[in-house]
Amino acid sequence: MRKFVLLVIAVASFAMLASSERGAAENQFGDANAQPAPFNPQMAAMMSMLIQPRHAKLGLAGATDNWPLASYMLKELRQGFVITARAVPRWKGLPVPDLFDAAVDRPLKLIEAAVKLQYKAQFDDAYGKLTEGCNACHATTEHPYVVIKVPDASAFPNQDFQPKR
Amino acid sequence: MRMLVRSASRIVVLAMACCLPAAAWAGGSGFGDDDDNADEGGPSYFGFVRDSSGATVPDAKVTVSLQNRISIVTRTDALGTYKVPGFAKDIDPEDVKVSCDKDGYKQIRVVRRSSPNPDPKIPIETECTLQR
Repeated sequence: MRKFVLLVIAVASFAMLASSERGAAENQFGDANAQPAPFNPQMAAMMSMLIQPRHAKLGLAGATDNWPLASYMLKELRQGFVITARAVPRWKGLPVPDLFDAAVDRPLKLIEAAVKLQYKAQFDDAYGKLTEGCNACHATTEHPYVVIKVPDASAFPNQDFQPKR
Repeated sequence: MRMLVRSASRIVVLAMACCLPAAAWAGGSGFGDDDDNADEGGPSYFGFVRDSSGATVPDAKVTVSLQNRISIVTRTDALGTYKVPGFAKDIDPEDVKVSCDKDGYKQIRVVRRSSPNPDPKIPIETECTLQR
């Protein structure tokens, strides 16, 4: 009988513990009644929002000799790097502005020159170097599995990348 | 009575099986994309190797030494950076020296850019400059 009572107490205690823990963290996504928190995207989100789409659009613009759009996307991409480096100046202790500088500064300058000259071969070469820079940075920051490539198709069905004649 | 105890034991096991996942989930686990997986050692050592113009130098040899007792030799990557894992937690980063080398170059400067931080997730950054 004593064993039975102990077992019942154990069951009751465990159930109470589990229910109290569940109560403490009701929803992994937060509390619907909490004050809105400031939006503070970190590196991965910044890359997905500001860098990867602009890198793709720049490539698609260059691929169709759409130099005005390429010029615009180049500025946007450069600005994306600036915003990201200011928002996350150190990532896991690594100096983000220095990493960006080492990875993409030279290719961005080469692309700028190619766009001004409307020189497709140089654009392709510089864009390839930019993409290599992205991947080198991913390797340095221990994300070698995030592999960026020259886009072979548009992910933006609502945007025409052909130049306006 | 024995059957009663056996039934109760089953209930206990069943209750634990049902409640454990919920309890573990309620405890929470990080799902941030920038989570760190740093191990329990001391801080790692990171830095750039540059030439005198400020350009980064890939494939330079970098030696990270602990008071000439232990040395870790690595090479800079495509971005001209190196990173080596930390020594033991009780090692003072001030006792760790970094030097760099590459054929045709000589080392002219080594500058520690970040102060030693007790947080083992923050690497100690040391920049090494080479000159032709």
